[in-house]
Amino acid sequence: MKPQLSPLARGLLACAAVLLVVGVADAALHHLLAQTPFGAPRPAQAADSEAGGLIGWLLAKQSEFYRQMSATIRAAKSDGSAVWTLLFISFAYGIFHAAGPGHGKAVIASYLVANRETARRGIALSFASALMQSLVAILVVGISAWVLNATAKTMCKAEAVIEIASYALIAAFGLRLVWVKGGAFIRALQVAQPVPAIAGVPHDHDHGHHHHHDAHDHDGHDHHRHDHGHAHAHHHHAHHHGNDHVHDEHCGHSHGPTPSELAGPGGWRRGFAAILTVGIRPCSGAILVLVFALAQGLFWAGIAATFLMGLGTAITVAAIAVVAVSAKDIAARLSAGRDGGGALFMRGIEFAAAGFVLLFGVGLLFGYIAAERTTCF
Amino acid sequence: MNMRALFGCLLAAAMTLAAGAANAHPHVWITATSELLYAADGSITGVRHAWTFDDMFSAYAVQGLESKTKGTYTREELGPLAQTNVESLKEYAYFTFARADGKKERFQEPVDYFLDYKDTVLTLHFTLPLKAPVKPKQLVLEVFDRSFFIDFKMAKDNPVKLVGAPSGCQMKLDRPNDGTASAQQLNEQTFLNGENSNFGMMFANKITVDCP
Repeated sequence: MKPQLSPLARGLLACAAVLLVVGVADAALHHLLAQTPFGAPRPAQAADSEAGGLIGWLLAKQSEFYRQMSATIRAAKSDGSAVWTLLFISFAYGIFHAAGPGHGKAVIASYLVANRETARRGIALSFASALMQSLVAILVVGISAWVLNATAKTMCKAEAVIEIASYALIAAFGLRLVWVKGGAFIRALQVAQPVPAIAGVPHDHDHGHHHHHDAHDHDGHDHHRHDHGHAHAHHHHAHHHGNDHVHDEHCGHSHGPTPSELAGPGGWRRGFAAILTVGIRPCSGAILVLVFALAQGLFWAGIAATFLMGLGTAITVAAIAVVAVSAKDIAARLSAGRDGGGALFMRGIEFAAAGFVLLFGVGLLFGYIAAERTTCF
Repeated sequence: MNMRALFGCLLAAAMTLAAGAANAHPHVWITATSELLYAADGSITGVRHAWTFDDMFSAYAVQGLESKTKGTYTREELGPLAQTNVESLKEYAYFTFARADGKKERFQEPVDYFLDYKDTVLTLHFTLPLKAPVKPKQLVLEVFDRSFFIDFKMAKDNPVKLVGAPSGCQMKLDRPNDGTASAQQLNEQTFLNGENSNFGMMFANKITVDCP
């Protein structure tokens, strides 16, 4: 038995899982598509370098769909059937585009990891935030361009304000997550101290899970004996559902007041912050398409296209969300070891995910991370 | 150990994301023609660009602008927009990067700028004077958007003109769609700048002028 190696190996594996969360959150499609032997249909890429090849391919696809939009909207003026083409293109564009930056998929994925959310909720969040994003784009263009006949300059200023607000929201949201998750992490650290004393007690694989409840339900106070009761009592339950989150909801545990607002059950109220944070910033592409459609006298077609883009976006983000949640569950399973470090590690991952949201927001806010630019110039 | 692994993860995650943030795709397409302006003594004084925007961006840019005749815009009516354009371009160094015999050259603020609107697209004309005229053996001019928000493409016909260049000067244009040129560019740039995060430079249009 090598007590030194085992936590290291577990740590590495769990770390790999976390990296998978983010890596996938960011580049799922890139890698996925890289496997397929698609050629380089568009010249604007350096197919030689590996990164350039797959990113280039993704970019090329987006560009292709995006560029077709203006021609299709023009065509729709005289030929009604072109609208169907437009809708299809918009949908495809949305799917590809969401794999790029500026869609808050990192925020959603991190939020899901930080809050031990279910995949189902991740999907719901993805769709809700994409819908909100579409609505914001339509409102921005509808009010400023259509109703007020504002110039691009004015619209651009509005976009810039929304952009800063959205970055600030991400930072604030991250700060809040860090606050809550930091508390849980510190409590887990405190709890972790006496754990070695009972580490010899044979545990089942549910260790990590019951520690979830531990930090959760009891605010991390010293309730070890109680914990064990919990773990055994809910053991079968957890396995029935195959997922501790569902278990959470079904059992209706009472949660501590601190994390409950973000991590406890509470339907949409809890996810609303995430939806608002991610959805408030419209996509530049949608704004351009809407204004163009408006200029062609086909604003409704632009609106339809925007919703379809949102739908496509939602599908990609939802896929990323599911992968993030699964990767985290794998990490949880891997870290559920014998010495009680698993719970600490999971709290740590959640804390890291929270910190990531904060860093991301701050980075965007202060321009360290370049997001999709607004169309100001 | 857990803590360190944690921060390692966090860092790696942040870097993954930061790297990924460069993966924007173009929202604006520009077809460019550029003229290199030479003084009588054979030194290069500046660059004159004419950038034609795609129809989607053009429609966006003229949204809400007043015009006497619907659907057409005069140079005067587009004046304020041209002003805004060149002012905003400053932040991006006009997407124009010059090196004279390997040394970076800087540009002054644009002069003689105006927009015209023809066939539903806008063309921005502007002249970028060099801070100081140069007379290099080799001038390399690159036009591209680092973040690839704008896709620059040199025009098919007469993309680059040398105005008043001494005889014997040779111009070569490497377009980004020439795969070999891009790869070369990437290597060279990576080498010169010591950074490889300049994703957009794979899409650079590189104009090289060699003079005897």
